[in-house]
Amino acid sequence: MAVNAPANDAPTPGAPSTDGAHGGSNFLQENRTMIRRVLWGIVALAALGALISDSAAQQAVLLGAGSGALIAALALGVVVTYRGSGVVNIATGAMAMYCSYVFNSLYSDGDLLLVGWTVNLGSGFGFVPAVIGTLLVAAALGAILYALVFAPLRAASPVAKLVASVGVLLVLQSIIVLHYGAQAKNVNATLSNGSVTIWSDIVIPANQFILGGAVIIIAAVLWAIYRFTGFGLATRAAAEDERHLTLIGRSPSLVSGGNWVFSSMVVALFAVLVTPINGSIDPQTVTLLVIPALAAALLGRFQSFGWAAAGGLMIGMLQSLIQFLGTKDWYPQAEQTPLPGVAETIPLVLVLLVLLGRGKGLPGRGSIGSVRLPFAPTPKFVLPKLTVGLILGVVGFLVLSSQWRLAEINTLVGIAICLSYVILTGFVGQVSLMQMALAGFAGFTLSQLSDKAGVGFPIAPILGALGATVIGMIAAIPALRVRGVQLAIVTLAAALSIQTLIFTNPIWSNGLSGANVPPPRLFDLKFGLTDPTSLGDGKIPNPWFGIFCVITVVLLAGLTSALRASSWGRKMLAVRANERSAAAAGISVKQVKIVSFAISAFVAGIAGALSGYRFGSVTPEYFSIFASLTFLAFAYMGGISSVTGAVIAGFLVTNGLMFTALNQWFGISPSYSILIGGLGLVVTIITNPDGIAGQWRKTWEAVQRKRSGAGNGSAGGGLEPAAATAGTKETV
Amino acid sequence: MTTRAIDLQGLWSGYGGVPVVRDINLHVDEGEIVGLLGPNGAGKTTTLLTISGLIKPIQGEINVLGSAPPTRAPHKLARAGVAHVTESRNLFYELTVSENLRLALFGSRADRKAAMDQAMELFPALEPLLDRRAALLSGGEQQMLALARALVSRPKVLLLDEMSLGLAPIIVERLLKIVREIADQTGCAVVLVEQHVHLALRIVDRAYVLTHGAITIEGTSAELEAKREILESSYLGEAALEDLEREAGTLGS
Repeated sequence: MAVNAPANDAPTPGAPSTDGAHGGSNFLQENRTMIRRVLWGIVALAALGALISDSAAQQAVLLGAGSGALIAALALGVVVTYRGSGVVNIATGAMAMYCSYVFNSLYSDGDLLLVGWTVNLGSGFGFVPAVIGTLLVAAALGAILYALVFAPLRAASPVAKLVASVGVLLVLQSIIVLHYGAQAKNVNATLSNGSVTIWSDIVIPANQFILGGAVIIIAAVLWAIYRFTGFGLATRAAAEDERHLTLIGRSPSLVSGGNWVFSSMVVALFAVLVTPINGSIDPQTVTLLVIPALAAALLGRFQSFGWAAAGGLMIGMLQSLIQFLGTKDWYPQAEQTPLPGVAETIPLVLVLLVLLGRGKGLPGRGSIGSVRLPFAPTPKFVLPKLTVGLILGVVGFLVLSSQWRLAEINTLVGIAICLSYVILTGFVGQVSLMQMALAGFAGFTLSQLSDKAGVGFPIAPILGALGATVIGMIAAIPALRVRGVQLAIVTLAAALSIQTLIFTNPIWSNGLSGANVPPPRLFDLKFGLTDPTSLGDGKIPNPWFGIFCVITVVLLAGLTSALRASSWGRKMLAVRANERSAAAAGISVKQVKIVSFAISAFVAGIAGALSGYRFGSVTPEYFSIFASLTFLAFAYMGGISSVTGAVIAGFLVTNGLMFTALNQWFGISPSYSILIGGLGLVVTIITNPDGIAGQWRKTWEAVQRKRSGAGNGSAGGGLEPAAATAGTKETV
Repeated sequence: MTTRAIDLQGLWSGYGGVPVVRDINLHVDEGEIVGLLGPNGAGKTTTLLTISGLIKPIQGEINVLGSAPPTRAPHKLARAGVAHVTESRNLFYELTVSENLRLALFGSRADRKAAMDQAMELFPALEPLLDRRAALLSGGEQQMLALARALVSRPKVLLLDEMSLGLAPIIVERLLKIVREIADQTGCAVVLVEQHVHLALRIVDRAYVLTHGAITIEGTSAELEAKREILESSYLGEAALEDLEREAGTLGS
């Protein structure tokens, strides 16, 4: 009976016996890796300091400590929310930005900002009461966001959680824009203005010094909390398996919610301390600092506080150094100014180095429940639908008034952009946050080709879209090794780089006014937006331009439907469902990804060219990161996985047909569109991942069933689903 | 007069509204060990998951520890004294043995220390492994840890799902002996889901046999032992009886 029994009870062969087997008292032994990392960080900083012998450069590096501290704090916030709830929170920067407004309002006017309204609590708080008040608001914000958005998404995939956080970002930002305006607001300095002399010739403001130190202390405190307290222990356990945690009497919601409160307070504290250094706050700058923060967090695989803090500080210092080097003669120039966007490219470079170097996934999370992907139906009646769409679109341009025609063009451009999301995100499950950057790349290329090189229609827009395709395929390279949330981070960082390197580059554009796009000409046909024509009422926009847009978008919709119905479409869905299974079924995952990125980028590029013709120019603002995020929100709302969804999304976009209707008929300002988009995204992700299109399809099918009178008898199976008994573990 | 620790009346439960367990009546008294036997897919695990609150019942009454709790949130039930060791052992493999145990400790410092000492007394094999990650333990050690962690929370109800899975019979026997001791000493009510009928019948007081989600046989262990042949055939189906005999041969029982 006991023949093979002892073998089973022996320790696993090859188990490293050094792994803490000597008892918990040996602190150094236990925390070796952590200590090693901190030492490496110090060595790296010292090396950097030694490399820069110039004292002015050293000073520049140290001046980056303040902004580095904010990046580091955001990175810590990102790590805390990831470890505590499995959410890669793109809205971390937006939360910090929101809290900086809360603080400023309390400090200078005594107003307490509650979602969209302010309550006056007397005239101007003192510094400490204002900080405490802000931290309380931050705690409430973290708790509310977790309870309303991320607790219901506990079982959702990491990508779905990330997309929901995009919605949160849009909501927070639009609340601030609606209340305070999009312009920068001057604020009073809060921390001491004294300075610290480090060496005889290096003097930096004391506050920078304090902030840099403070963030390191916070990182150490967080590390100790996670390491030694019961809360930290429960957090680490929850990260491994939430369901198992409930079985031993601890609530994973409480653990995750606590981490959200924590993270929110950390980022709020530093937002409050750092933003006044620059003398002004605005809704964009701090929100976008989440990108370098994500890069820093990625350094430690979203697990290590030490790496996050060190990475954040280092990015801040490097950016400050690059800014300083911009004053040197040898620095690359663009039209007599230092080449812009180099500092903003650091996060992208860092992210790529980390991901390509390691290529290892983020640790997954065992959560309660299972994941459902949005349903991507096989398109039916494609030709009739496209024909109806074409006719309706053309008729629209013939009968509608000027304002509505413009709205219809905006809707068509929106449909095209959302189609690019449908192909990449809906069919293949890859979340790209750079679609507008791709569209913009095509738009700016079109502008260059047609305005400066004299390349005409249709060569220039097609070349522009092909240019976007190349960029999209380059973006696919990291996607071959990483997927899900990491890919989203890559694309976000890439969008920032494209935006600053190209869209704001004086060679390509004239600053915020953008670059000119001449109207399209084909032989003698003039169908630009502003070209005079005898068709219609003779006002702008020219109906022929609208008809051109309708034809283009109908072709793109047809392409997308055909793609879904083809064998490529099935391969894409297989990759979306499970890359390993797809590979096992003989599908080349790499090929599918590259092709999808290319097609999606091409579609986005065409959309960019259309919008270039529509405005007669391309501007950095139209193609900004926020635009990418907003369109993603509308694409999800409409239905991320079907052409119908993209069409509905096109109606919803800012200045599209729906908002024009709301504005005309109910007097609702289009400035609410981003707020509605963000809220709609969050609600869609939580309640109905199929979007409005999916809702329509379900209703339609229910009507069909009722009409045919066929009941749907479901046979009760007697088998236990195996997945329900074993804690389902997601692979990222 | 013994009290009912678990009392299920007309319970229907399953997944997504599809019943797996149909209309079962089952009770376990304090200090009693009750076996839940049956073939794969009979609904044993579903029953346990329903008792510990991880699955909401479709219909029926569940009384655990004397009263129907106001909420059936699993973590609240666990705090009230329901310990569930799932088939997958529900350990946190990234955490050390002592961290796994600490997670299940509640109450004052002295209480927690006493519970820890008691666990070490029951499972001396775990003492030298306290600082090792659970992932690095052998299967037997992991099961010991799972049981130890369930016991340090001083449960009033203990649900054990397939403890024998992947373990050598000698270890299973040792673990079951400990379970018997705990039930006798603390009055903890135990539900034991087990595939190895002969092992299970050795320690349980009574047992229920589930087939296709319904209770088909119930009785004391002596009664069931008498008709083990019938029991095992219902377990596996006629065709599989041969396999069973072959397996029994290799195990040497």
